[in-house]
Amino acid sequence: MDSLQLGSYTFSSRLILGTGKFSSAAVMLEAVRASGAQLITVALRRFNREQAEDDLFGPLSAMKGITLMPNTSGASTAAEAVRAAHIARELSGSAFIKVEIHPNPQHLMPDPIETFEAARILAKEGFLVMPYITADPVLAKRLEEVGCASVMPLGSAIGSGQGVATAAMIEIIIRESGIPVIVDAGLRSPSEAAHAMEMGCGAVLVNSAVAVAGNPPEMAEAFAEAVSAGRKAFRAGLMQKSGSAIATSPLTTFLGTY
Amino acid sequence: MRPLPDWLTDDRETAALAAMLAPDSSSSLEALAAESRAITLRRFGRTMTLYAPLYLSNYCSSGCVYCGFASDRKTVRHRLEPDETDRELAAMKKLGISDVLLLTGERTAAADFDYLRQSVEIAAKTMQRVSVEAFPMSVAEYRALADCGCTGITIYQETYNRERYEALHRWGPKKDFIDRLETPARALEGGIKSVGLGVLLGLSDPVEDALSLYRHLRHLGRTYWRAGMSLSFPRMRPQTGGYEPPFAVDDHTLARMIFAFRIALPDTELVLSTRESAAYRDGMSGLGITRMSIESRTTVGGYHETENKEKGQFEIFDDRTAKEFCTALRKKNIEPVFKNWEPAYNGPSDGNTAIIHTGEPQPCH
Repeated sequence: MDSLQLGSYTFSSRLILGTGKFSSAAVMLEAVRASGAQLITVALRRFNREQAEDDLFGPLSAMKGITLMPNTSGASTAAEAVRAAHIARELSGSAFIKVEIHPNPQHLMPDPIETFEAARILAKEGFLVMPYITADPVLAKRLEEVGCASVMPLGSAIGSGQGVATAAMIEIIIRESGIPVIVDAGLRSPSEAAHAMEMGCGAVLVNSAVAVAGNPPEMAEAFAEAVSAGRKAFRAGLMQKSGSAIATSPLTTFLGTY
Repeated sequence: MRPLPDWLTDDRETAALAAMLAPDSSSSLEALAAESRAITLRRFGRTMTLYAPLYLSNYCSSGCVYCGFASDRKTVRHRLEPDETDRELAAMKKLGISDVLLLTGERTAAADFDYLRQSVEIAAKTMQRVSVEAFPMSVAEYRALADCGCTGITIYQETYNRERYEALHRWGPKKDFIDRLETPARALEGGIKSVGLGVLLGLSDPVEDALSLYRHLRHLGRTYWRAGMSLSFPRMRPQTGGYEPPFAVDDHTLARMIFAFRIALPDTELVLSTRESAAYRDGMSGLGITRMSIESRTTVGGYHETENKEKGQFEIFDDRTAKEFCTALRKKNIEPVFKNWEPAYNGPSDGNTAIIHTGEPQPCH
């Protein structure tokens, strides 16, 4: 069985869904169901213990067949992310924490230094740490060394819909990584998700593309199909790309068979 | 008189915005609306973050021509005592509010820094997010507020036209144009995580003010790269005191301004308060605005007292209840978000990897 392994957890779906930006919790839940995703991320800042109306955690935790992965979106330092992780674990009971530290609230680019520090501490404390990072092959290896369950390099800026703009770096990360590489952020279309999977990503995480689609559940389903097609293609082995046509009368026949 | 800083008159970055804002702009309002809508949807999704103001005190030491709380106005002066603040906050919580903006006038003995800090401490106990719109403070004072759980400072320049500014602000600490201009930078220097900037539309030429506002925001963003930033577009409303705005901004001009700023600043929070009508706010939802106030009372102690006869700072226009407002938002396929912050992220913003405190946040002194 081809499954995604994160720590001691096994998932048959390789699509991870984010839960922000939806027009209502009901639409979000419908999209989650339609996606078949088993790992769902939710921001701690959208846990609302006092008002049920905009709370995302309550309805998700009541849903069967999914594992929640709280995220620290909103944290701007390692210390804040570590505090948030503790609160999230206490509230959700989840072993997972998606470390998101983007100190500039404008472009939301992850801070590699703070992220590394938070990941190091949290991995030591036994969390399954899923760090959101820029597509930096060295940082990815450093995070693997301190015990992260995966690395989550960005395809492009959050919510930008620019696809896998960092493909060249992500290829290096995948080639060198001993843990699943999950492309997170920037995907606009299912074909881009398929492309990421064909490259050998362990999974992709999608949020905006589904949340702001005309029909979020249908888009979630489309992403699920694309992810599974991309994975199948990767496993089947893609034909090599070539810059020129392969000559039918090879140039080196005169050398005989080697 | 201290000279204007260079960044305030630097027009290298404002050409695109100026072209969109010009009264004879070639971009149609409809085209700007469509682009603004697409950017907002992509970046912020189908959500609207909600907050409510709490007027702590209407004592004031400044003489702003246009303000209902100016120190020469004959109005009942009052401040909330700690138990009253608690009661107000409890009434707000019942309405679902967990993101509060605390307001005072300019610094007075009745509502000074210690009073404000104490109020922030009280609010941070029950509210998920606390921000402040009060008087200019020192870096050290801002740091103390950040330590107590204040994450945002709103401070409007009102107008960036210095001559108009001098004429409108007749006396008091607010008369110092440059000091006010430097206040958001002091807040960020003190570790406040986000600042809200704005001009009071109606006081001076709106396009000129809008371009200066943009320059101010970009200047701060370059200097304080961790800063969260929001922009507001308050239009003069009928005030206690009856000031008639000489540069009244109509609905179309305000709309053009909101769309143009969204296009120029795709990631910046844009705020629209209850100064605007229900129809205008509903119309603007999803088109560029990402944060709105609800259930506003502009009187001191307006939440607990249902029959308040006092006059507020200005008249609110959209007086719908939170429930009515949310129903209207949902009809537009937009989710009202009451909580979009986590107190675990409170504290000064300065990233410091060298010292990690994994324990409880330091107690507020």
